[in-house]
Amino acid sequence: MTRQLTRPLALVGVAILLLLVGQALLPGFLSLGQIGNQLKIAAFLGLFGLCQTIVIAAGGQGLDLSVGASATLGGILGAALMQGSNGLTAPALLAAVAAGGLVGVINGIGIALMRIPPLVATLAIASVVDGGTILGVSIAHPANSASPVLVAIGGWASAGVPNIVIVWAILGALAIWLLSASAWGKRLTATGANPVASLLSGNHVTAIRIAAYGLSGALAAFAGFLLTGYVGQAFFGLGDPYILTSVVVAVIGGATLAGGRAPYAGVAAAAIMMTVLVSLLTALAIGEAGRQIIFGLVLLGFLALDRMMKGSLRMAMIGRRPNPAPPIAAASSAADTPRGG
Amino acid sequence: MSAAGGLPRTGSALAIWPALRRSGLGPGLLMLAVVTGLNIALQPDFFSGASLSGNIATFAPTILICVAQAVIVLSRELDLSLGAGVSLINCVMASLPQDKVGGPLGVMAIAILVAILLGAVNGLLVAYAGLPSLVATFATGAIWFGLALTIMPQPGGVISDAIGDRYAGTLMGIPVPLLIIAVAMTGWAILARHRSGRRIMAVGSNPQAARDAGIPLRRTKLLAYLVAWILVALGAIAISAQTLSGDPRLGTSYTLASVAAVVIGGISLGGGRGTPWGALVGALVLGLVTNVIYFAGIASSWQEFVKGLVIVAALGFMVLEGQRRA
Repeated sequence: MTRQLTRPLALVGVAILLLLVGQALLPGFLSLGQIGNQLKIAAFLGLFGLCQTIVIAAGGQGLDLSVGASATLGGILGAALMQGSNGLTAPALLAAVAAGGLVGVINGIGIALMRIPPLVATLAIASVVDGGTILGVSIAHPANSASPVLVAIGGWASAGVPNIVIVWAILGALAIWLLSASAWGKRLTATGANPVASLLSGNHVTAIRIAAYGLSGALAAFAGFLLTGYVGQAFFGLGDPYILTSVVVAVIGGATLAGGRAPYAGVAAAAIMMTVLVSLLTALAIGEAGRQIIFGLVLLGFLALDRMMKGSLRMAMIGRRPNPAPPIAAASSAADTPRGG
Repeated sequence: MSAAGGLPRTGSALAIWPALRRSGLGPGLLMLAVVTGLNIALQPDFFSGASLSGNIATFAPTILICVAQAVIVLSRELDLSLGAGVSLINCVMASLPQDKVGGPLGVMAIAILVAILLGAVNGLLVAYAGLPSLVATFATGAIWFGLALTIMPQPGGVISDAIGDRYAGTLMGIPVPLLIIAVAMTGWAILARHRSGRRIMAVGSNPQAARDAGIPLRRTKLLAYLVAWILVALGAIAISAQTLSGDPRLGTSYTLASVAAVVIGGISLGGGRGTPWGALVGALVLGLVTNVIYFAGIASSWQEFVKGLVIVAALGFMVLEGQRRA
């Protein structure tokens, strides 16, 4: 348990350090209102990070690059159905989540049954979903504004705590239980770690992977729906900023692309840390260019750190110098699934 | 190309079909035949000199960048920074004082040097530091994009007309873009017969066996990245020769296009299976699909959707065909 908590605590520590640096450089950076704002932004990033955590855990080089398209679909479809009315918000939410879940299940079928590499499958589906959304909007010209209730959930606070952060906390706690304590979570990580062994011990590997992608799509659409409330209206490209940043927080949070681990506490902490980092850079008037460079360097740094820790762990376990060869298995796609014939 | 694409329908070629299927190129060629047919139907002067050379000039950058991705994929890695790299090289070219660095040749030499540097960074991170290529090149891609934005926050700058004129012209009666592609593919053909090229394939198809056979894994992967990035440089020069200015977002779409082309071309993302020729076919398919959508007069609101559907259909087709093959 202590090792599982090391990374989240370290990441939260880095976030606090960044906040203190921000306060030192720009007085007012550490105000309560500021922290609430940053948690709001982190909540969205954290929800998208959960999508990646689940599919990465499912293994087979799992990745969902259609979260942006699903989120945009969820936001636009949701806004179209609720037509700005409070009464229609709940049915619209259900429809949006169902649509996202359907996109995810299609991803899962392509990946688990047809054995298309996740990177390629989810990108291709994303282009269809994006194209379909543009098409639908251009034909139907639907309503695009959020209902007052949704605006309150996405943007307002209760007793000083932003509502969206409460939603994230509840979902995050559920996710941590689902991924690390529930029977389904154990099957998911077992499938990711060793699909063949998982299959032999009676798990339905294909169904588990399809469910993982379905869950990811539904969550992405849910996040897109909430994002509509936060921004006030749905628009095309709503979810796009989260496609790659969600992968980044998942990796920084401790998910390994080889699969088999679902450390959502770490991913949630990574979402907070990255949000604080980006807002500090923005506050310091570091433009898009500098942010991109720092973004890349931070990600590389975490990858290298992971690599070094894995090396030293293996050294401690085997008691000798780590094997100098690079981990080739990490690069192969779907090599861990038995191919027919 | 179209002759090869028409093969499956002629009787004598039936014997070639199984061989094509084994190579993984069959479905890609079939798709190429279909989109070429559609192009001819929609654009009656498709085979006229002007139309052909115009198409080749447009497709050349995509082809070169897709072949670059293929070389890396064959070594069982991936590079998601190709598009951002193209943008960075383009911005460097456009921000150089064209006359002070030795004219067009100097600008192009600097472009190639920059590309080799970027490829070396990626290759070292993946092969020597042992970072997973998917995330590591995604990270370097962000850095390349950031650097491109630093050099050129807004589209602008000038690339000497001489490069554009040379690219649009002919050399010994052959259009220059075609010549660049020919040189690149010949270069790969020579490399594939040489020890280094065979090593790239060996490392990709079975790294453990390759290492047991004494092949230096890390050096071979680094080599794959360097070879690929020289192709990326050629691709970036070819685009720059058409735009004649710099744009930090110029290359963005090429990353995903290159991965799609690799898959359509029957190259296994698991490495070792397929050839860069497949990526050439895949790139042509993508380019011709865009042509078809354009010439068919499809309403712009439908274009994205149709393009996505075509790629999904291509993927499904590839996968089903691949499973039949296995």
